[in-house]
Amino acid sequence: MTCDQARDLAAGYVLGALERSEEAAVRAHLATCDQPHPEFGELGSVVPALLELDESELVEPPTALRDRIMAAAAADLAARGEQMSAAPAAPAAERAITFPDAGDRARRAERREATRASRFDWALRIAAVLAIVGIGAWGLNLQGQLDRARTFDQAVVAVVHAAGQPGAKTVILSPQKGQHGAGIAAVAADGSVVLAMQDLQATTGTQVYTAWVIVGSNAPVSLGDFDVDAGGTRGFTTKPTTAPAGATIAVTLEQNPGNTAPQGPIVSAGVAAAPPGSSG
Amino acid sequence: MNESPSGPRGRSVSSGDDADRAVLALVTAGQLDALQELYDRYRVMAYSIAFRITTDASLAEDVVQDAFLGVWRNASRYVEARGSVKTWVLSIVHHRAVDAVRRRRPTAELPEREDIPPAALTLPDVWQEVSSNLDRAEIATALATLSDVQREAIELAYWGGLTQQEIAERTGAPLGTVKSRVRLGLLALRRALGGDEGRAESLAGDAPS
Repeated sequence: MTCDQARDLAAGYVLGALERSEEAAVRAHLATCDQPHPEFGELGSVVPALLELDESELVEPPTALRDRIMAAAAADLAARGEQMSAAPAAPAAERAITFPDAGDRARRAERREATRASRFDWALRIAAVLAIVGIGAWGLNLQGQLDRARTFDQAVVAVVHAAGQPGAKTVILSPQKGQHGAGIAAVAADGSVVLAMQDLQATTGTQVYTAWVIVGSNAPVSLGDFDVDAGGTRGFTTKPTTAPAGATIAVTLEQNPGNTAPQGPIVSAGVAAAPPGSSG
Repeated sequence: MNESPSGPRGRSVSSGDDADRAVLALVTAGQLDALQELYDRYRVMAYSIAFRITTDASLAEDVVQDAFLGVWRNASRYVEARGSVKTWVLSIVHHRAVDAVRRRRPTAELPEREDIPPAALTLPDVWQEVSSNLDRAEIATALATLSDVQREAIELAYWGGLTQQEIAERTGAPLGTVKSRVRLGLLALRRALGGDEGRAESLAGDAPS
């Protein structure tokens, strides 16, 4: 393409009114031409003004569109994570987590070793969870399912945000034997634990779920109670605590709020881990 | 020529531009909540542009999704010197919407959808804007200074997604005339919007053919 040909197409080009093949030829010419082509900038400078629509032409998109976009972006992020990490994520080890009783220090030390050995790439794991959410959201049609996905998606975004803070720890919570409820959590910089849980059974009556932190062989410390509706998903941020790497974060189902020692079964639990490369 | 902040209509960088750039930097870093923030800032304009071009709600949704995924994957390709984040994002929406309506046309000279690598994003060029803080009334006034045929040509090109050749076929005017109308219309707009102070000579010789 000559400079004259490019100039002749300038107006059409800035408006996007060329065939895409012509457009590509103009673009290629501009990228390689050593002559100045001020006409493109001059004609193009008014094009952004054309994008200012009249108020009467403004239409709010359906709310589901945001979820579709975020789900697709999350899936894309997960795919990127897979490409970047040569090693596949180790599957979450099947570990029964119990509350400490006297004399199980040895077992705990052993478990810590196991945790270290199977230390996962936390970002990859979060990405994997996001991918599940993302892929799931594509096929959802029922509004209830969409709401559920949205609740969980927002909760996961909060977890990812907390996980990115300096000194943050991450936790993958797995359902315990015979129980339902899985999720991810991050111990934020201020010590609060940001949880994103799904598949929980709905609470009824005075029932609540209680989040606990267990450090070493200390007694579990309650981090707060939350309820769950029929959707089974829940985002929850606990009060600040101290949860170093290796601490267990557990969720129990309690018959009453405010228990200071767990009475009900452990529903879901996992061990806090520092991101690789940090000193936690 | 528009960089000078002098004059009531000189390009001024609004605080929105700075905030947008900060959000886009987080998008580049792969932060999902930043993408959601960017989407929430421009979803109405993006969807409205896509809907105006496609006149199809479901196609408009696909276009907006496609465009924001393009932004998500290519945020690092935004060049600050060439325009605001807002214009960059909305230009991508515009470009994709035009692709979508052209693909629907039987006469379209477009590769089959399958032939387009989905990850490849043809980013439109973004031009230094005549002003980043024009209001709609100013733009309507400026558009009113165009002749009817100029306005029609720009309208068909920009909102109809027609090529200049297609505009010529549609209006019965020769291709050269259509090209002149588009060019002179843009120049008239530029004049009306106050963007041609000290205008370069480069366009002076272009008489309608």
